[in-house]
Amino acid sequence: MRRAPFTGAALALILLIVLIQAYLFDTVLGAVLDGQRSQLPGALAVSVLLTAVALVLAFKIQYVSRIPAGDTEKAPGLDGRR
Amino acid sequence: MAGWKSLFPVDLAEESRLSRREFARFLALVSAGFTGGIGYLWLRKKPLDGAPDPPGEAPATLRVCGAGDVGPGNSFLFTFRNPQDRCILVHTLQGHWRAYRQTCTHLGCAVRWDGRGLECPCHNGHFEVEQGFPVQGPPTRPLSRLDVEVRADGGVWVVGDQDRPSAMSGLS
Repeated sequence: MRRAPFTGAALALILLIVLIQAYLFDTVLGAVLDGQRSQLPGALAVSVLLTAVALVLAFKIQYVSRIPAGDTEKAPGLDGRR
Repeated sequence: MAGWKSLFPVDLAEESRLSRREFARFLALVSAGFTGGIGYLWLRKKPLDGAPDPPGEAPATLRVCGAGDVGPGNSFLFTFRNPQDRCILVHTLQGHWRAYRQTCTHLGCAVRWDGRGLECPCHNGHFEVEQGFPVQGPPTRPLSRLDVEVRADGGVWVVGDQDRPSAMSGLS
């Protein structure tokens, strides 16, 4: 197996997740400062889910088995360092 | 090549290069940081600065002053639940009594009465006095408001926290 290129779509998805997280955190912080804590568990659950998706995308999906192990040709987008 | 470069053959241009995957990992860790922040808010029992305190050991009511002590258009500073809980009582020109925590919802400076509304001198934020909504400057959330009663004994009493309306309802 070899490392697959990290696609722009995956990067865009992670960027979107971070934007959602920033908005979520801002909203939750405002609510807490207003003395409303009821939405904290739900916000935390959503945040954990989004973070799990981002972590899986960034750290786990690295290899593809469709590319033959002996193929040394670089795939587009690979930095070729690791 | 200089001697030290042969001993430490590090290509700075190559080292500073950030791959797409490395950037994605950084973003994922930022996302995890936001999750940790929300988890901290959930686990934290003590209210944040500027947030209304939950009912606790402190007295829920306080006689602030006499009704005749503060004329219309004037204000009176007091502390409510503890010496750090600084609040301001305002007797409006319309004859209403309003009390707010002095903590500005922007960065926590103490707001003061300017004769027409409440102003935060740090960043020129202004709040209207009837409900504490921000009307000018960087604050986006209303002040923490206290319930005020004028009782038969002639005293002005603060009797607890009032539910703070959301910023969105203030904009509508």
